Amino acid sequence: MKSLVRGPVFFGLLIVLPLFGLQHWVLNMLVFVLMFAVMSSAWNLVGGLAGYPSLGHAAFFGIGAYALGSLFKGQTVSSGYEPFLWLPVVGLIGALIGWPIAVISMRTRADVFAIVTITFLFVVQTLAFNLHGITGGAQGLALPIPPFPAATFEQPYYYVLVLLLSVAMGLTFGAARSKVGLALSAVRADEDKARGIGVPTTGVKVLAFSVSVGLTAMVGGVWAYYQSFIYPQFAVDPLITIAIVLMTFLGGRATLWGPILGAGILETGQQYLAYELGGSQFYLIAYAMIFLLIMLFLPRGILPTLVERLRRRRSSAAPAPAPRMETAA
Amino acid sequence: MSAILTVDGLTKTFGGVRAVDSCTLAVQEGSITGLIGPNGSGKTTVFNIITGYLRADAGAVRFAGRDVTGHDTGRLYRHGLSRTFQQARVFPPLTVLENLVAAGGYSWWQLFRRRITPADRTRAERLLDEFGLAAMADVPAAELSYGQRKLLEFAAVLMSEPRLVLLDEPTAGVNGVMVDTMERHVRARNAAGITFLIVEHDMTFVMRLCDPIVVLDAGRPIFSGPPAEVQSNDLVLDAYLGS
Repeated sequence: MKSLVRGPVFFGLLIVLPLFGLQHWVLNMLVFVLMFAVMSSAWNLVGGLAGYPSLGHAAFFGIGAYALGSLFKGQTVSSGYEPFLWLPVVGLIGALIGWPIAVISMRTRADVFAIVTITFLFVVQTLAFNLHGITGGAQGLALPIPPFPAATFEQPYYYVLVLLLSVAMGLTFGAARSKVGLALSAVRADEDKARGIGVPTTGVKVLAFSVSVGLTAMVGGVWAYYQSFIYPQFAVDPLITIAIVLMTFLGGRATLWGPILGAGILETGQQYLAYELGGSQFYLIAYAMIFLLIMLFLPRGILPTLVERLRRRRSSAAPAPAPRMETAA
Repeated sequence: MSAILTVDGLTKTFGGVRAVDSCTLAVQEGSITGLIGPNGSGKTTVFNIITGYLRADAGAVRFAGRDVTGHDTGRLYRHGLSRTFQQARVFPPLTVLENLVAAGGYSWWQLFRRRITPADRTRAERLLDEFGLAAMADVPAAELSYGQRKLLEFAAVLMSEPRLVLLDEPTAGVNGVMVDTMERHVRARNAAGITFLIVEHDMTFVMRLCDPIVVLDAGRPIFSGPPAEVQSNDLVLDAYLGS
């Protein structure tokens, strides 16, 4: 029940944070941290809870970006909030495209599944460069310029992302407390056995995938509107997939807070190092170093390792029933 | 007595190997039928085909009066045909209680209910008491001994109130006390109306418990009858010892 306190405190902090007059670069960074936090949390639904390591999520980020781009191509916005209202449609488009992809690719598992999904990513990448009618090809696609005042320009995006994060975490929280989570755990532990005892394995993992990529598409939509311009090499970028997988692994798979923690550490670390080490690619090496060091000392991800240590310390002091990792973290 | 399960002309080849070769057998309702045979005689393959894990190349499976050939394993389970595995397959990260609830045979729309409802708990606790696992309800299955896992797997497939349970080597790798416990549970459940089909290598266990016994060799039944006759049948001795 601790997460029932932790959640509101965390989101309360997120809501008041921009009111402290943070500088633009800090808010800009927070927008990106939130984007990755939402995507990691969404990826965790399928990569963590179901145990299906999708490497294709960046494709849905791009699909969401282009979906919003297509909806608002050549249009102007008055209040500037219209694109946000269309985000559920963008999410639905992502989920609907994700459904058949999941039905087909989830016939495979583990490493083969990873390869099938990354193949899908490259197909979408090629399409982004070549479907000139929809994406504008390499020239890119312009979105309407939002009329937000410069002083608080980042805030609308920030708050929409906070809302999306609450949806992603709410779904994770709800899944763990419903039979969906139980079924996903069974799939992750032993899928063939789960099938044999009547767990609707296909239904539950396809559902997890669709919801996950729907959320990812919505983040892609927010990103596109934030940038006001979509270049295919940034919209469908394998580095996005790699980042969200690393963040989830770093924070702790199949936990509620792990992906958010991982996104916070890696995205701020990357932005800071890119700033410190300048335009050179050295920051990528430093970035990899952080990851390797944490994985060396906390191999199961930060949260599961810490929770386990805490549990051991507590149980050596007073033998108590073991708290469940999934609910405690 | 009528047959609850009939297998007719089942054939399955893997590459050039005929694992099951026009196999025909019937399991009478209320019986504890044993399925024995030398290694590689196709017992587990027959199990896998009956329970929908494998598709047969030819032949038909009828369960409770319906043709269920090629039906999905989850659907069969919900219709009352359960099985356990040779290796005691449970979900190690889930607690004992959760292992039982996961086997409740829920349809996908029921998945949006609470992880463990009070009704689930009542239903599972009855089984936990029956199988002596009540004290371990909230312990991850990973912490159970191998024998306890076998019991848990058995208890779990009873969650769906099956009519027929297929046990694949229920006593392999467990100690003598656990073998007796397993036998007691099978007998109790059989008395309560569940039919069993058991693959087992422990001959004393099979001879004590099962009647009739079907002997499989090279993918087809060579004998079917009461235990006493199995032991004296020449065909069976040849299959096990070589002629």
